[in-house]
Parts: sequence; structure tokens; C-alpha cells
Amino acid sequence: MNSLERIKAALAFAPLDRTPAVPQLFGHAAVLAGVALGDYLRDGSLLARCQLGALQRYGHDVVFAFMDLCVETEAVGSTLQYREHQYPDVASYALASAGDVAALAVPDPAVAGRMPQLLRAAGILRGELGDTVLVAGCVAGPMTLATQLLGIETALYLAADDPASFEKILDFSAAVSIRYGVAQIEAGVHLPIVFDPSASPAVVPPQFFRELLLPRLQRVFAAFRQAGALANWLNIAGPTAATLPYYPEAGVDIANFDYYVEPQRAQQLLPATCLDGNLKSLDFVEAQPEQIAAAATRLVEVFVARGGFLLSSGCEIPPEAKPENIAAMVAACRKG
Amino acid sequence: MLNPAMNQLVASLLDGDHAAALAEARRLRASGLAAEQIVTEGLEAAMRRLDDKCTVESFNLLEIMLVGRAVSAVANELYPEGVPPAQGRATFVIATLEGDVHDLGKNIAKMVLIGKGYRVVDLGKDCPLATLANAALREHAQAVLVSGLITSVIPQVRKVRAALDECGLAGIKLVAGGAALKQSSAEALNVDYVAETAFDGARYLDGLMREAP
Ligand code: B12
Repeated sequence: MNSLERIKAALAFAPLDRTPAVPQLFGHAAVLAGVALGDYLRDGSLLARCQLGALQRYGHDVVFAFMDLCVETEAVGSTLQYREHQYPDVASYALASAGDVAALAVPDPAVAGRMPQLLRAAGILRGELGDTVLVAGCVAGPMTLATQLLGIETALYLAADDPASFEKILDFSAAVSIRYGVAQIEAGVHLPIVFDPSASPAVVPPQFFRELLLPRLQRVFAAFRQAGALANWLNIAGPTAATLPYYPEAGVDIANFDYYVEPQRAQQLLPATCLDGNLKSLDFVEAQPEQIAAAATRLVEVFVARGGFLLSSGCEIPPEAKPENIAAMVAACRKG
Repeated sequence: MLNPAMNQLVASLLDGDHAAALAEARRLRASGLAAEQIVTEGLEAAMRRLDDKCTVESFNLLEIMLVGRAVSAVANELYPEGVPPAQGRATFVIATLEGDVHDLGKNIAKMVLIGKGYRVVDLGKDCPLATLANAALREHAQAVLVSGLITSVIPQVRKVRAALDECGLAGIKLVAGGAALKQSSAEALNVDYVAETAFDGARYLDGLMREAP
């Protein structure tokens, strides 16, 4: 079984040779290669090279054509502050006032901001790996892009004070997610993961998710499926127990869950959906390999009987993580 | 104890209706109530009710933000120059440290503490350690609060204690919170307490202030 076949088997709850290992390694690939994160995030060929290096080092089952959660907002018109060894932040927001959304255009991924570099990375990774390893792209989900266009505090107050204007921004954001994700599929990714941390119950209540975000996520995932995505993958960190049950309705095939949700609980909430999670991100920095191995083995065991599982972290594995901890996680998969 | 004269204010605050809360606070002021009384019997009562509602299971950030905005609006109206040190229950300094520019969590923790009648000196985000320690000294703070959303700021958090020691603030309490820091422990971060939520942190601080008034 190669990595892609293994992940497809997990998706289908079919028998497989071992649990797939999908550590969320993004910027860590740069650190591993001795490359400045700020360069990795702006150069698609470099990003692809570092991802391939990490794959070779750890032997896991996925590579990520993912930069950071600022790519879309930058392409729309926000200005970013880049740093050498950290992810960028928005320095000035594209939507100074909510009314401006009518004046914004959905960016063309072939030319806007860093999008073309990301598409280049996707093409290189797929060209190198073909159908042996899962090549995942990434887009920011509608709520996250909305908060990245306005600033999270402004966005949340707008959602409460002027829901109609906020919904227009969400619609615009969903259109951006769709166009960018479809371009990634055309460039070679097997699927674009939707990252929507700002849709987490840590930020907005479950009712908000159901009424405002679910319809937009449905639209995004339907478009990806139509464009040929292998599966639909939603990644929302934090305490998501109250929102996970809506994922099937959104069209989700793979659901990420964070360390806040017990694996047994996630299984109950999503009995027929492939799950990925949920090792604590910070443990990859602070814990010892034996602890990671023990936690990973426990997790793998909880899912042996059920299947439909990809071993992962609850959120990104921090760039500064210890390599031996990632190796310990991947090794735990080889045993079950 | 609930003062019936405060019912309208408390209700508007809990509705997150900052305009109505502001109007009611002005009315109470004009009717002769002292600012201090509006804080202790109005703002603090509203905060207690919100605290009771916000368990870990049902934590509605949006609701907290709206109540927090209304509470801040009233507090600003009552004390345009900030709560005078003599009137606050205690003074805290709060910051997001250098290298981290996320301040939503910090702002919420601050609003909750203001609502509980504390004086909170906000040093903003991306704050250097020396600025934090000097402010704690200058403001005679009873505790130093740090918030962090990204794990890469943890090495900075570990150095706060030494920066405070250098300013002669060896015994001062140090509390951490925020999505990244709460994945760690007080021991690993070299702080006195790691708060799970803003209310959890406020309860810890309430306890400290009761012990050492
Ligand atoms: C929403 C979110 C985002 C949003 C917006 C965040 C913001 N506030 O501006 C966006 C999209 C920007 C984002 C981006 C990223 N994110 Co994010 N995100 C989240 C999420 C889902 C919620 C965080 C949040 O805002 N919660 C709401 C606020 C109010 O909560 P809070 O900060 O915890 O504060 C509360 C309490 O902690 C307390 N509190 C806070 N401070 C203090 C201080 C004191 C003294 C006290 C008493 C209390 C207190 O009060 C608040 C109310 O109770 C978390 C996961 C989670 N934990 O839920 C991940 C999380 C923070 N993200 C994470 C990651 C990895 C990222 C990215 C690096 C991903 C990437 N590769 O691009 C980027 C970072 C980009 C950057 N430049 O730094 C990781 C961070 C770990 C790490 N490796 O650093 C987290 C923890 C997920 C995880 N489980 O690991 N993210």
C-alpha cells in the first residue's frame, strides 16, 4: 500500500496495513531544512523542496502546499508584516470599513499576491509524487478570511451589530475560497484542506456556525467536489464538540479534531466520518519522544476497531517542534 | 447583594446593549449615585452573572465581547482618565509579549477584570519585557498578566519572572493565559498560574486579593 492508497482506505473505513500518519507539518519543513520561514512562505519551489525533505526525513503520508492564513487576505489587498522566523500578520486590513466589500474583486490565483507561488508548489509536489503520497492544498475558510479582512475584533462586532453587511463579507470570502481552492486542484493537489479556525466555538457560538457558516462551507465543499477533489477535509481547532455534528451536512469527508475533544467523543459525534487528530500541538515542543509515542499509540488503539482515522495533531505542529517527537509519532503508526 | 436601582443597568449590560447601558449609567450618575457604587453594584453584578453562565461547556465568546464592550463603555464614561488607583480593588498590568501581535484574548481578560472593579493597565501587544516590568513597578501592580496565542512566544514568557526580579518585584504574582500558553503548565512557563479562561483567571486573582488585601 502506498501513502495515497492508505489514506483512501482510511477514508472508506476499509482495512489497511497501518494507520496513516498525517502530522500537520507546515513551517516546520523550513526549520528542518535550515531555511528562513519568511523565505519558505514566499517561494513556491523552496516550499515544495522543504516539504519533500520533511517527507523523506519522517516517512509520513502527506505533503502540504500551505503557506499561512494570510495568503488570501493579502491577495485581496491587506498589507502583511513578514518576519524571518515567524508567520506573517496583517499590518493593515483590506476592509477598513464593511461597505468596501462591494468594491473588492475576487483575486485571480494566477497573479494575485503569493497565490501563484503556492500553485507552483502544488504543481511541483504532484509532479514529484504523482499518486504515491497525498498532496494537500489549503485554503482559509469563509469565517477565517472574513476575520482576516477586517481584523477579528472588528469582524465579530460587525457580525453582532450589522449581520447583513457581515453576511456579504462571508459570501465574498466563500467566493475567494472557491476560486483559490479550485485553482489548487487544477494545479495538482488531490484536495484543498479548508482551515477555518475563526469558525471555532472558541470564537463563535455553535448557532452562529449553523446559521451563518454552514451554508457557506456547503457551497465551498460542493465546488471542490465538482472540481475533482479526492475528498473534503475541514480543519477547525479548539473545542469543536458542539459543531462537529454539522460537518457531514457541510459535505465534509475528513474532520480534524483538536485536543479539547476526546477521541471517543469525536467517534460518537461523527460515526461515519473519517477523523484526524488530536495530539496536543505544544507537546511536540515541550514533551519527550516517549510521551508522544505513548499518546499516539493510545490514540491509534482507540480507532483500530472502528477505522476511518488519520493520526495527526489537533492543529499545526509548531515550527520549533523537536524532530524526534515527530519521528515518534510516525513510528507509532507503524505499529498499528 | 443586588441593588434594585441597578436592575436596568445590569440588564442592558447583559444584553450587550452598550448604548442603553451608557444612557442608564448617565441617568444613575445624574440621580446622584457615586461612580464607585455604579461599578461595584452595577458592573460587578453583571460580570458575576456572566461568570455564572460561562462554564467551560458553554462559553460564548461573542456574548462576552458584547457585554465587555458595554462594560468598558460605562467604565470609560465613569472614569475617562481610567480608574484611579485608590478606587480600584487592585492594579494589574497586562500585555501580549514581544513577538505576538494577537490581542483578542488579552482584551477580553482585561474587560472581565475591569468589570470586576480592578484597575488594569494595558501595555498592548508586542510588548518588550522591560516595558512590562517597569510598568508593574511604576503602577504598583499587585499582579502581572501575560497573554499568548502563539507557542513561539513561550521562551519570552519564561523570562518574565527574571525581568520582574530585576526590578525588585520578586514576590509579585504572575498569571498567564491565551490559547497557546494554556497548553502548557505553570511550572513549564515559570508563572504562578495558567488561566483556562478569562473568568478562571479572574477567580484566581479574586482569591489572591482576598488573601492579601
Ligand atoms: C481563531 C484562531 C486563529 C485566527 C485568529 C486568532 C486571533 N485571536 O487573532 C487566525 C486565523 C488569525 C489564526 C491564525 C493562526 N493560528 Co490559530 N487559532 C485560532 C483558535 C481556533 C482560537 C483562538 C482564539 O482567538 N480564541 C479566542 C480568544 C479570545 O481566546 P484566547 O486567546 O484563548 O483567550 C481566552 C482565554 O485564554 C483568556 N485569556 C487570554 N489571555 C489571557 C491572559 C490572562 C492573564 C488571563 C487571566 C486570561 C487570558 O481569555 C480569553 C477568554 O476566556 C485557536 C485554537 C483554540 N485554542 O481554540 C488556534 C490556535 C491559536 N492557532 C494556532 C496556529 C498554529 C495558528 C497559525 C500559526 C496557523 C498557520 N500556520 O498559519 C496562525 C498564526 C498566524 C500568526 N501570524 O501568528 C495554534 C497555536 C499554537 C502554535 N503553534 O502557536 C492554536 C492554539 C491551535 C492549536 N490547538 O494548537 N488562528
